[in-house]
Parts: sequence; structure tokens; C-alpha cells
Amino acid sequence: MKNGMMKLKRNRFPIITFFSLAWLLAAALAVAQAGEADSPRAIQLKIGTILATNQGKNFDPRLAPLKSQLNVFKYQSYQLLKEETKDVAGKGDAVFEIPGGRSLTVTPQEYRDDRIALKVRLTRGDQPFLDTVVRLRSGGRFLLGGPAHEGGVLILSIGASAQ
Amino acid sequence: MAVTGTLNCQAAEGLLGAWCDGELKVEQAEQVKRHLAVCPSCRSRRVQLERLDNTIRAVLQRKAQEVRFDLAWAGIEERMAEKRSWAARFAERARLAFEMKRLRWAVSVAAVLLIGILALPDSYKAWLFDPGGGRTRIDSIDPHGRNVAVFRERETRTTVIWLFPDEEWDDEVKEESVSNNHVL
Repeated sequence: MKNGMMKLKRNRFPIITFFSLAWLLAAALAVAQAGEADSPRAIQLKIGTILATNQGKNFDPRLAPLKSQLNVFKYQSYQLLKEETKDVAGKGDAVFEIPGGRSLTVTPQEYRDDRIALKVRLTRGDQPFLDTVVRLRSGGRFLLGGPAHEGGVLILSIGASAQ
Repeated sequence: MAVTGTLNCQAAEGLLGAWCDGELKVEQAEQVKRHLAVCPSCRSRRVQLERLDNTIRAVLQRKAQEVRFDLAWAGIEERMAEKRSWAARFAERARLAFEMKRLRWAVSVAAVLLIGILALPDSYKAWLFDPGGGRTRIDSIDPHGRNVAVFRERETRTTVIWLFPDEEWDDEVKEESVSNNHVL
């Protein structure tokens, strides 16, 4: 005959539940903080001004990194007119002079999750040509083309990286 | 209360039940045996326990004979062999999966994973949540009345904004330029 008493199991429920809820709360706080936009860091802007024409068959060797992107335009000749790099800190902007009396104003707006939001404005004198807000990955670039120049068109390579 | 060797009556009485069932270790069993040899009260207690055990056993055996165990086993085997519908099996698995004790650990694991993901460097986070390669996105565009096209070059996934020429505006600029030159 058994004479043992039933051993009561220690109630571990409160301890495990406490730690589970503590972890969940910490995770929720981390998510809330991650949701806030990072304050803009210094953003390096790189603008390349390219002249694309159908006159001759020349490809500027300095444009080798962009060769595959430029092939989509089907022009015969590509020449890098100039390349500029500017650093923008805080809420500033950078103005780049574009051939043909045009200017390109780039304003970094937001940096979050390794992506940079850029406000881009192309003007000719006081006349606006284009206003756009583009969101790209740090180190990425996009192309803006079309303005006529010297028998061809201008293609602007606009890139940004967070510093 | 007599004290015999290293085991007293109180201790021996507590071990009697286990000793009768043969559940004690060899040393403990020997101690109880030695105590019973010299303690009449504990021997009497042992006899009482054995009588009670025999009585209960007899009652249980009588009752057990009235139970149709063969039918019970047949029912159990039949239920084990029957095929339940997929819905019943799914419901059973879902019930087991969402038992409280499993949920507790699942919550902790999920929280740790979430914190781990959020602690990743931004570049890894971007890759994780945007495995498409971090495509450039146009949030807004205003060509001020001109025609514009936005497309993505397939091979390199480069986003292109193309402004189509506005002949009227371009002609006005040319005329103005010629006029200025003439004045000068």
C-alpha cells in the first residue's frame, strides 16, 4: 500500500508569464522607437550630367559603371559633361548647375531603414521644370533625362549615400 | 515510544506502507525489518496494514470481475482504428498547439525573435523587408504641365524619369535668347 503523499507541483506559471510579458513589452517599445524616422544624417549627393546624342558613336569611358543603364536609351553617343559631389547636413539642400541655364536643387528629407527620401527640383531660371520626391536606398541612384541640349538630350544621374 | 537502533517508531511507521509494497531501498528495508523484530507495536501496525490491503484487494477483484474489460478494450481498439476526418484531426492539433503552456513559450520565442530582427543593422533590415533589392520609389512627381514618363530599366532595376520636350516652351526660350542677342 502506498503511503506517500501527493507532491504538489510548484506553480511556475507566474514566473514564466511575467518574463513572457516583460519580453513582449520590451519588443513593443523597440518597435515603437524603430517606427520613428531617424533624424537626417549627412547625405552625400552625387550628380553626373551626361549628354546623349545620335551624333557619332562615342561612349565616354568614365560612364562605364552606367553602361547597362544608359543602353536603354538607344542613343549612339554618351559624354559625361561634369560630375559633382556635395555633402548636405541636417535639413539643408544642394544646388547643382546644369548646362543650358538649368539648375537642380536636391533636398534630403528623410533617412529611415537605410533609405533616403530626396526632394528634387529642376528649374530653368525661375521656371520649374519638375518637382519630385524620390525614395532610394543609400548608395543607390536614379536617372532623370529629357532636357534638350546641343542637339541631344541631357541625362542626369542622381545618387545619394548616407554618411 | 521505543527507540530501536537508528530507526524509531515514528520513522518506521512512516516507512511501513512502502516496506509492505517492496518499494524501499535495501538498507532502509533492513532497518525496518530490524525494528519490527524488536517492536511489538509496529508489528501490530504492520498486521493491520496487511489485513486492510488484503480486504481492499479482495473488494477490487470482486468489482473487477463485474467489469467487461474485453468490451472496453474492443471499444478502445475500434476508436484507435477509425479514421477521423481531416477537420477533426486539424481541430485536435490546433487544440494541442494552442494549449496555454505552449503559448507561454511561443510568446517568449516570438518576442526574442522580434527584438533580434529590430536589432539588426539597417542594411540587413532593409534587405529582409525589401528583398526586391531596395527599388527606388517615386513618392510624388509634378512635371508642371509637361509630359513625363517613369519606368524601371529591367536589367539593373534603375528607375528613370523622362521629361518629354515641350516644343512650345523650348521655342519661346529660343526666341527670347535670339532677341537678347540682337539687342546686345
